[in-house]
Amino acid sequence: MIRVFASLAWNGFREARRNRVSVVIAAFTLALVGASAVMADVTVYTMRRVVTDFGLGAMAILLSVMAIFLSSGLLTREIERRTIFLMVSRPVSRGLFLVSRLAGNMLTLGAMLLVMSAVFFLQLIVFGISPSAPQLIAAGVLWFELLVLTSFGFLMSSFSGQVTSSVVTVGMFFAGHLANDMYELSARSKSEVVRAAGKAVYYLLPNLERLNYRGAAAYEVTPPLGEVFQSALYSVGYSTVLVALAILLFNRRDFR
Amino acid sequence: MSDAPLPIETRELSKTYRLGFFMNRKVRALQGVSLSVRPGEVYGLLGPNGAGKSTTIKILMNLVQASSGEARLFGQPSQDCAARQEVGFLPENPAPYEYLSGAEFVRLAGSLGGLFGRELDRRVAETLGEVGMEHAASLPIRRYSKGMIQRIGLAQAIVTRPKLLILDEPTSGLDPVGRRQMRDLVSAERARGTTVLFCTHIIPDVEALCDRVAVLVSGKLVKEGSVRDLVTSQVPLVELVIEGLGLSQVRALGEPLQFEQEIGQRVTVRTDDAAGQRLLRAVLSAGGRVAQLSPARFSLEDLFMETVAGAKQKVGGEIN
Repeated sequence: MIRVFASLAWNGFREARRNRVSVVIAAFTLALVGASAVMADVTVYTMRRVVTDFGLGAMAILLSVMAIFLSSGLLTREIERRTIFLMVSRPVSRGLFLVSRLAGNMLTLGAMLLVMSAVFFLQLIVFGISPSAPQLIAAGVLWFELLVLTSFGFLMSSFSGQVTSSVVTVGMFFAGHLANDMYELSARSKSEVVRAAGKAVYYLLPNLERLNYRGAAAYEVTPPLGEVFQSALYSVGYSTVLVALAILLFNRRDFR
Repeated sequence: MSDAPLPIETRELSKTYRLGFFMNRKVRALQGVSLSVRPGEVYGLLGPNGAGKSTTIKILMNLVQASSGEARLFGQPSQDCAARQEVGFLPENPAPYEYLSGAEFVRLAGSLGGLFGRELDRRVAETLGEVGMEHAASLPIRRYSKGMIQRIGLAQAIVTRPKLLILDEPTSGLDPVGRRQMRDLVSAERARGTTVLFCTHIIPDVEALCDRVAVLVSGKLVKEGSVRDLVTSQVPLVELVIEGLGLSQVRALGEPLQFEQEIGQRVTVRTDDAAGQRLLRAVLSAGGRVAQLSPARFSLEDLFMETVAGAKQKVGGEIN
């Protein structure tokens, strides 16, 4: 089973690589180089903060877009192109197929994150800024944020079309980052219903801000490792629930 | 008789698709289909479009879930992964991953079927040779022709040396050369002892390859048996080719005709033996000439057409 899992996951990575995801890395590198020229001119004392903010922010946006694109259309594409017929008919459970494909996506995103982080830290060194622990933590925890996004995209893709799936996943991305604000806003309401609804939405939506350490990295604040570990655990737990739901729906689907 | 489980066995298999936004439209694709395929035979599933052939195969391959009834592969429910361990499957218009090369795709299929390491390397090379694709093994699949995709499709199905091969319209869309090659490959699998379930609406392929056939019409199994038995079970007919009389004049002679055709000055009719003798005399008395009198060969195609006409096939299955 492990070998089958590895074959399918590696194939997912190979698919992304051959579909030229490296273009995204090139775009990121160009954006960093271009922005560096501007930043060197306009900033003096806050150089470190601006470079960190811009670098980690660009990385998060590009990789989130990639995660949504790769996950929300994956199963739909497999079904529409009928490639799934040759995979699901093998002695492989649908659950294993889905989890392996998710692992392939996370491997791709992980590799991209590694290369982008290397480019980012290289840029810091070029500017004479030494890389710090908060920056490393922010880049590392970004992978867990991408895991939640990818799992949500897979869940949507297991029962809906690519457009619906992408739109809802993008919506979830913004809502997940605004979950705290929505909760606080609803808590100020005088209506019991609004307060209850705000609470329900807060607990239902993934709290993506919990996985966002980019602000802390910009201000050189090192978060407690226990908290970082809990956040990573939260991401894995939330994703497990999403993937379990995706498997449940995917198992019931007919491929006509 | 051996107690070994049958490669394929279905009992009262039914499938109703629910369509539309509110899933309120029902299309009955299969209705109580029971069939069994014995080890080592080539079994043809024959039927017009929308008869339920592909649905039957998709239930067997766990691509579609049956609404009722059961489907078993080697005695195990077809939904179980283990049931598909000894099965190779070629779907209609196979769609392998286009970003892979032929060899990479067959390799992936082999690894999903439980092959690894040197054994996998050996089998991939061997299989690519068998389907005549070694020359294009490293080309990306997106550059393959239809015939090449079909051959790579077959390679991925046989790379694990399955005991059962399920082929859904394997010759559809192929040119005569491609069809012949595909038939030869299936024959080679049969010679190796592989059981083959072969689904098609191309009757000459069935006649050339199958030991037994089942005819599906509107989701129902309407005939099953060996090709020879089905053809010879029909009432023997004689065929008369008549000259000098028109079709209306031949009809006016009052004999029951099973088949009639008028081309130019010639009328061809088929009727049973006794009526044929009477018709012969009547034609001669009426001033006509019998250019040919021969036993009519009842082909599988005739049987198929008659069966479909008798069952009043509705294209696309029954819709409630």
